[in-house]
Amino acid sequence: MHMTGAAEQHKEEKRDITFRVFRFNPQVDIKPYFDDYTIPVERGITVLRALNYIKEHVDPTVSFRAFCQAGICGSCGMRVNGISKLACTTQVWEELDRCKEPGILKVEPLRNMPPIKDLIVDMDPLVDKMKHYMNWIDSSMPESEMGKKEFLVSEDEFLKYDKATDCILCASCVSECTILRAHKEYVSPAVLLKSYRMNVDSRDTIHDTRLAELVKDHGVWDCTHCYRCQETCVKSIPIMDAIHGIRENALEVRGTKDTSGAKHAEAFMDDIAKKGKLVEATLPFRTNGVLWTVKNLLPMAVKMIMKRRTPPPPPMVKPSKGIKAFREEFREMTEHVKDDQQSHNK
Amino acid sequence: MKPFDIVIVGGGGAGLYAAMEAMKTNPSLNIAVLSKVYPNRSHTSAAQGGANAALANKAKDDTVEMHIFDTIKGSDYLADQDAVDILCSEAPKIIRELDNIGTPWSRLDDNTIAQRPFGGAGRPRCCYCADKTGHTILQTLYEQCLKKGVFFFNEYFSLSLSVNNSRMRGLLAMNMKTGKIEAFPAKTVIFATGGYAKMYWNRSSNAAGNTGDGQAIAYRAGIPLKDMEFVQFHPTGLRKSGLLVTEGARGEGGYLVNKDGERFMARYAPEKMELGPRDLVSRSIETEILQDRGFDSPAGKYIHLDLTHLGAELIKSRLPQIREMSMNFEGVDPIEEPIPVRPTAHYSMGGIDTDNYGRTVMDGVYAAGECACVSVHGANRLGGNSLLDILVFGRIAGHTAAEEAGKFEPGVISPEEIKAKDEELRSFMQSSGHYERYGALREELGQTLALNVGIYREASKISRGMDELSLLKERFKKIRVFDSSDIFNTNLMQVLELQNMLDLAETVAAGALAREESRGSHTRNDFPTRDDEKWHKHTIATLDNGTVKLGQKPVTMGRYELQERTY
Ligand SMILES: Cc1cc2nc3c(=O)[nH]c(=O)nc-3n(C[C@H](O)[C@H](O)[C@H](O)COP(=O)(O)OP(=O)(O)OC[C@H]3O[C@@H](n4cnc5c(N)ncnc54)[C@H](O)[C@@H]3O)c2cc1C
Ligand code: SF4
Ligand code: SF4
Ligand code: FES
Repeated sequence: MHMTGAAEQHKEEKRDITFRVFRFNPQVDIKPYFDDYTIPVERGITVLRALNYIKEHVDPTVSFRAFCQAGICGSCGMRVNGISKLACTTQVWEELDRCKEPGILKVEPLRNMPPIKDLIVDMDPLVDKMKHYMNWIDSSMPESEMGKKEFLVSEDEFLKYDKATDCILCASCVSECTILRAHKEYVSPAVLLKSYRMNVDSRDTIHDTRLAELVKDHGVWDCTHCYRCQETCVKSIPIMDAIHGIRENALEVRGTKDTSGAKHAEAFMDDIAKKGKLVEATLPFRTNGVLWTVKNLLPMAVKMIMKRRTPPPPPMVKPSKGIKAFREEFREMTEHVKDDQQSHNK
Repeated sequence: MKPFDIVIVGGGGAGLYAAMEAMKTNPSLNIAVLSKVYPNRSHTSAAQGGANAALANKAKDDTVEMHIFDTIKGSDYLADQDAVDILCSEAPKIIRELDNIGTPWSRLDDNTIAQRPFGGAGRPRCCYCADKTGHTILQTLYEQCLKKGVFFFNEYFSLSLSVNNSRMRGLLAMNMKTGKIEAFPAKTVIFATGGYAKMYWNRSSNAAGNTGDGQAIAYRAGIPLKDMEFVQFHPTGLRKSGLLVTEGARGEGGYLVNKDGERFMARYAPEKMELGPRDLVSRSIETEILQDRGFDSPAGKYIHLDLTHLGAELIKSRLPQIREMSMNFEGVDPIEEPIPVRPTAHYSMGGIDTDNYGRTVMDGVYAAGECACVSVHGANRLGGNSLLDILVFGRIAGHTAAEEAGKFEPGVISPEEIKAKDEELRSFMQSSGHYERYGALREELGQTLALNVGIYREASKISRGMDELSLLKERFKKIRVFDSSDIFNTNLMQVLELQNMLDLAETVAAGALAREESRGSHTRNDFPTRDDEKWHKHTIATLDNGTVKLGQKPVTMGRYELQERTY
């Protein structure tokens, strides 16, 4: 098969493709706009390489971040055809099927973070949250003893945080998070993931302090359980396991004794139940539809309630259609919880 | 701005370890870390393999002494043996310290830190975290620095040292978010800006920003560089991007095949075939390409890394990342087609000349990591020794600067100096007579280097390369920054990086021309053997009236006598 001859092997498929790029330079622009760049693209080219081409050959003012160009550093998160992902690992040809207008790829900055210029957004709020939630190991080894001996860590423990340490802080999940759109203070999925990773590490000593912070306002109970973050994650990390993990842990530690976390969730749910608006604003547009939601998620949610005597987060729902049905289900479900909690309190 | 006790330039493994250690040494110090990217984006994150340390967890009979010997031999005897001693003796401590602060090392059955075999090492002593070692080390260090409250100046691009009468006063940097030049008056500065292998551009496995900024800044301030001609090539980079296809592909049984369908390694390493040492395989591939047995394409010549015979099952289970990479970056599924590859510039052995404590010749200026040359890698670094180098010497530099900061007066940087810098940068944006495009120059720089100062070198070619470099530098004077905005001007940043690469490329080429021998990564067709009598010496490059001046420095021996390097 190596003898097929050079000529045939290098025949590259090539075509003209338009990149509709979000432009905004706060120094001169009153509001954002889009620029269209039509360039020749061969098969095998990534969105980042196409952007590089545009910057080098067409318009050097187009601004975006990129560094490793290999999906490792997390610099190049942006929205391609509406979905947050890494430009450097996204094939242009694979995006063609996802274009709303045929042959036009839309490229926009990540959401939920302050814009800086064009495709560049401000990462500082995310770093501030990492600090706020103490996303580090506060070691049980005194500083003076460090380097002398290693901790013994079991395979089981390692596996608990192995996947979480894949996170490259690209903020794609942050950009897609439904709650963040409404509440900028919300802890955000990547920080929940990192917090979980620290909490299950036996070398750490500030588990309780971190958890106490996580169950406060804007913390783990605000999550709507919509799974957007996990579906988006560029490293396929099961972020929801981390979120569940923190919640379970919170209930274990304080659950029946101190229901502040549960109460908080309840209040939040109330809010949603009453002001259906919030649901529409914060719950994602889901293709699954209400039927799927009711069938697949509510039973699990109710199970969780029974088990933990706490209201689950509202499940996802397609906002325009079926919101009434959802509210109905939701009301019923909350009644359940209340009954359940009352009987427990007795 | 209030003067800093220590300004660290670079937030990779070396810079962050330095910051952490300096805070530990003296918590009352005022320490800043400047980085042109968020620290966790630094290229340290790309290191997959691991870091060497004779923990003897896996091979109970491993010793620090063996690690020292492997390193010295690997360096082709150009490493300073006292520095290697420090590197290897400190290694177990560093790896354990990282464990103590949360690095998620993979584990052996007895729950100790896992180790695996790595090229050039007599025992399996490479400590790893799956295939994300650098990434997890960098995360751990970043987390600890956030915990300790290190001041981070993220997305600040360092421009130059402020020096008056050989006294360092601090640093000038551009805040990318505002475009403003800001002064960082400082008692001490530590450079930790990573390597310069990106000057080979798309013939390099490095991140876009590994442009040797720190080395270039130091060089322009009169600080000597060492052994710049030594650049390590990895055999299998992807054709279009230069990105790395790790050794795993050949380890699992991949073939290297030329356009005649021949497994050509039979000619060069009949026994080891595809699994010969890195430099040998790189040279073999290059020979095939030079003798016209490679494939041709608009993106350059290449050969095939063929995995198709391994079958879909094995490729999917054992080489998923390699498959993903070749699909993402070449549009080729290795289950169906061979991967187009060629050697890629991977690591820079040379760098800012330092002593064993990270000190440079200039008071108050230190360097560590890939941007420094202590030297522990000599003419060729071993896999897994570079992460170790940045951690061990990052730590030492941080400690030394913290101890010595008190000796120096805080510098003062005048507004005039800032203004002059600002005007210098703005001149790139003026339109009259400025028309050269950065992309074209950069491309040509990479090509010239790969062709003339690449794997195989000889006097005539290197001289041609140097002529072309001078032309490129001439053309650079007419370069134009088309983006005139202050906010996040990546166009300007790229041009400044190109300027740094151009300056350093001259030192690489000059060193390569002068060194009339073959040693480690430096292969001269016209001088095919190692010449210890004349060249068992470090090359020192200093800037003298706008041109490279070369000198020499003896290699510190003391442990092992010179031997022929055979494997
Ligand atoms: C693909 C690949 C795989 C590798 N695998 C391994 C391995 O398995 N084992 C091993 O030991 N080594 C490996 N290496 C080598 C190793 O990763 C590097 O040598 C090492 O990480 C360099 O670390 P550093 O801290 O010196 O620099 P870097 O991590 O490169 O950090 C440089 C820092 O300097 C900053 N900086 C640069 N210029 C400026 C400026 N002008 N202004 C402000 N800040 C600036 C950057 O922002 C960055 O924070 C590998 C290298 C590559 C390319
Ligand atoms: S599940 Fe939804 S609301 Fe919760 S963190 Fe993820 S994206 Fe945000
Ligand atoms: S969790 Fe996934 S998507 Fe979110 S920042 Fe980390 S790697 Fe990116
Ligand atoms: S450039 Fe590093 S992840 Fe895309």
